[in-house]
Amino acid sequence: MIPTQAEPADVTRAASGSSRRVFWGAMLENAAYTAVSGLLLGSRRRQIALLASLPLLWIAFANVGPIAQMVWISFLDSYPPRAGYVPQMTLANWARFFQEQIFLVPYFRTLGYAAVFTVATLIITYPVAYFLAKHVKRSNQLLFLLLLLIPFWVGEIVRTFAIMILLGNNGAINIALRSLGLIDRPIPFMYTTFSLGVGIIYLTALYMLLPLYSALEKIPNSYREAAADLGAGPWTRFWRVILPLSREGIASGCTLVFLISTGYYAAPVLLGGPGTTVFAETIAGFFHVAGDQWPTGAAFSTIMLISALVITGLFLKLMSRGGTGLMK
Amino acid sequence: MTRNSRVVLSVVYWAFIVYLFVPLVLMVTMGFKDSRFVGFPIREWTFDWYVALFQSTEILDAFAYTMIIALSTTALSLVIGTWVACFLGPRRFPGKFLVFALACLPAVIPGIISAISLRIYIQLLQIDAGISAIIFGHTVHNVPFVALVVMARLATLPKSQIEAAHDLGADDIITFARITLPYLKPALIGAGVFCMLLSFDDFTRSFFLGSYQPTLPVLIFAKLRAGMSPEINAVSTVVLVVTAVLGIWAERSMRMTKRPSS
Amino acid sequence: MGATLLAAPAILRGRAARASGVVNVWTYANFLPQEFKDEFQNDTGIQIQERLVDDQGKQFNLLAAEQPRPTVDILTVAGHRFLQFIDAGLLTPLDTGRLGNWANINPVFSESDWATIRGEKWGAPILSGAEVLAYNTEVVTPEEVTSWEAMFDPTYEGQTAYIIQDMMSVVMLYKGYDGNMIEYMGQPDRAAEVVREARDFLIANKSMVRKFYESGAEIQQMFINQDVTLAHAWNGPISKLIMDGLPIAMTIPKEGTYGFVYTFNIPANAPNADNAYTFLDAVLARPEIGAAMTRTSGFISTMKGAGDHLSELEQKASSFTEEELAGLQFFRSEANDMKYGLIDPAVEEIKAA
Repeated sequence: MIPTQAEPADVTRAASGSSRRVFWGAMLENAAYTAVSGLLLGSRRRQIALLASLPLLWIAFANVGPIAQMVWISFLDSYPPRAGYVPQMTLANWARFFQEQIFLVPYFRTLGYAAVFTVATLIITYPVAYFLAKHVKRSNQLLFLLLLLIPFWVGEIVRTFAIMILLGNNGAINIALRSLGLIDRPIPFMYTTFSLGVGIIYLTALYMLLPLYSALEKIPNSYREAAADLGAGPWTRFWRVILPLSREGIASGCTLVFLISTGYYAAPVLLGGPGTTVFAETIAGFFHVAGDQWPTGAAFSTIMLISALVITGLFLKLMSRGGTGLMK
Repeated sequence: MTRNSRVVLSVVYWAFIVYLFVPLVLMVTMGFKDSRFVGFPIREWTFDWYVALFQSTEILDAFAYTMIIALSTTALSLVIGTWVACFLGPRRFPGKFLVFALACLPAVIPGIISAISLRIYIQLLQIDAGISAIIFGHTVHNVPFVALVVMARLATLPKSQIEAAHDLGADDIITFARITLPYLKPALIGAGVFCMLLSFDDFTRSFFLGSYQPTLPVLIFAKLRAGMSPEINAVSTVVLVVTAVLGIWAERSMRMTKRPSS
Repeated sequence: MGATLLAAPAILRGRAARASGVVNVWTYANFLPQEFKDEFQNDTGIQIQERLVDDQGKQFNLLAAEQPRPTVDILTVAGHRFLQFIDAGLLTPLDTGRLGNWANINPVFSESDWATIRGEKWGAPILSGAEVLAYNTEVVTPEEVTSWEAMFDPTYEGQTAYIIQDMMSVVMLYKGYDGNMIEYMGQPDRAAEVVREARDFLIANKSMVRKFYESGAEIQQMFINQDVTLAHAWNGPISKLIMDGLPIAMTIPKEGTYGFVYTFNIPANAPNADNAYTFLDAVLARPEIGAAMTRTSGFISTMKGAGDHLSELEQKASSFTEEELAGLQFFRSEANDMKYGLIDPAVEEIKAA
């Protein structure tokens, strides 16, 4: 048996089942296997090469390739290719963003919305994650998490239409308020920043909740109790103990939500109003109208991507300055 | 913490659950409406949408097709994502942050941009649009999520266990199979559920990378053009029930082998 | 479920686009009635592989990405988008001599000015749509909606919706200009001035509008949820609401409006062009097929006599008075480069304003 220190349950389970043990034991004595593993793992260098091979190939092939191609298209004067025309290189698509001021409004609006929705999602989901991690019995936590996951199995579009039926002038909330006699005329919830927020936070909550939950879950209860013993009130304990210790979860949740909400397209189109156009809609517009607009769309996409990455980079730097090691 | 704060927290929690579930209740209700459109008022009720659903092979085919894609994508993403995590997780090397950032890139690129760039890319690679292209596209998108979840779990793996296995004569492959992999199991299950979910709900990539056989979201989107019909709600309700049952079953079976997880 | 899983290998293998017994069709949901498909497949032995599209732009992008080896034999292009497809070399001219049933199409559509480009026919008209003024009959009377001006009546502030691109053409018409902008070809300054006036008018009236929308499903839901009372819309989605018995009506105001025609087209390098012709001829064979297409799509059939096969409610939902039709003119594509070169930025400006 393997001697165990920290994780007895795990290792015994891994080692359980004598047939498996026999199988792996036999593997070690099998000449063909040892030859192959010797070849692969013969030296430190080979081990690292084996470990690095697939990840590096995959990242180059699947992640860098398509993006590089998009950046390349952003410098062409015409794409998709037309018969009998060789596209020329140009900077015009990039220049357009800086020359035509009308694009700046949706651009800054998107960044602003993403920031506001990120903070709102954080404020709404933090107590939820805290409740889950600290007040729900450990054995039930997974069940409660699954409960939160269920809505995400319904497609985004179908869910969005359900939100419309909820918030419309003739929607569930207005009907309920009217039948209770609280209002005479329907409240126009739909096609406002409010309806957009309701829809977006629905989508982003999960990405915030999971990192927060796993950060909070790791904080030992003894810390909190120790603080209480030292006479700290609930607020002090929260500000001085819990919040700093969950900083890593906050950082990764906010990063995910911010990046993802800069790219939302369907929800703003369906739930937003005349004053809420976001940059993704502008970009999609270039791909929907056909012809020579793809390169502009590609350039604008790259601009959005770079902006979002730079902002999150700065944010993470700021968060890590306090001492947590997310950037290590 | 005090009793008051506990009450406040549970109120917030249940309010949040209501926020998540009220739209779902509305959606399920509308699946029984006898009209071609969803919305109030509901004058007549019917089961016809469900009957039609199980009579039409179109939707069942799309469901099966989407499931096959989701399962293949999940399997591939778990392998590649775990590999990436094992490579990036434990060691430091120059340029690690750059590699890490590049590895995460697909998770944060807006769907429409990634879909179109992948569509042009597979053209370049001479892969035909269709199931393999969709699986490729979804895998590209999912790998970063797997890698992130697995890396988090990997960081808590006690080194002593690996050393012990080595002391007993196991080589790296066997150590990985017998120590690391079992330890990662909760993370892999979590990441797997996530992959299934992302692949199952994806419209944009499936549309651009797909061919004549539609995935469920693509079919729903095309039907939407003719109006948001209760039929679509009925389809979603069935998917919801099937996946909820699967989810509870998975939770049950995990409970059997449960240990504190992060 | 079991049967579906057993059939999985067939799904995995996929179906080849280039095959003797197949015709590949890209079209909208509910354009091809199921009865027609069954009958066609039985009669000819040719299998219809249908791919549902939901947007002209996406269809263009997809086809452009697939050329020169497209996987499609029949496309569904809106008539005024022809030029874009033709210029990109994506379509092949139609040999109407191979279509014995061509004469069954109402000449209003088949011989119209937009239908012939560079001396060739590029598609067979199947369904026709118009930009209409739709309204909730419980709130608005027919007398209030005789002019597009109703859309800008302060009574309905915050209760209207429109598709900006389309509304630009309508506003030009409302202001007495040529919304097709053919009149201004060769006069770029004049064209820019007209677009600027229409744009400024919509910006000045931005408080009137509840929502700039894009898809038919959205405007349907807005009427059902009573988020709007008056809207500019295509007749297809509105006609489906009327057929469902909702208190909605539509009209063509006195200033007139623009219409468009969906056509079936054969792309350049179509893998099974012969089957495509067989398919087209079958679609045009009988007015009942046209009527069935109207019933499922809500758009008006281009076939002679199709109306005779519709119920009263269906006719009401898909027809206009002579007076209304007098104001209908079709979108033309001759000036599209100039027109959309001016309108697309204007749309962004209206949204951003």
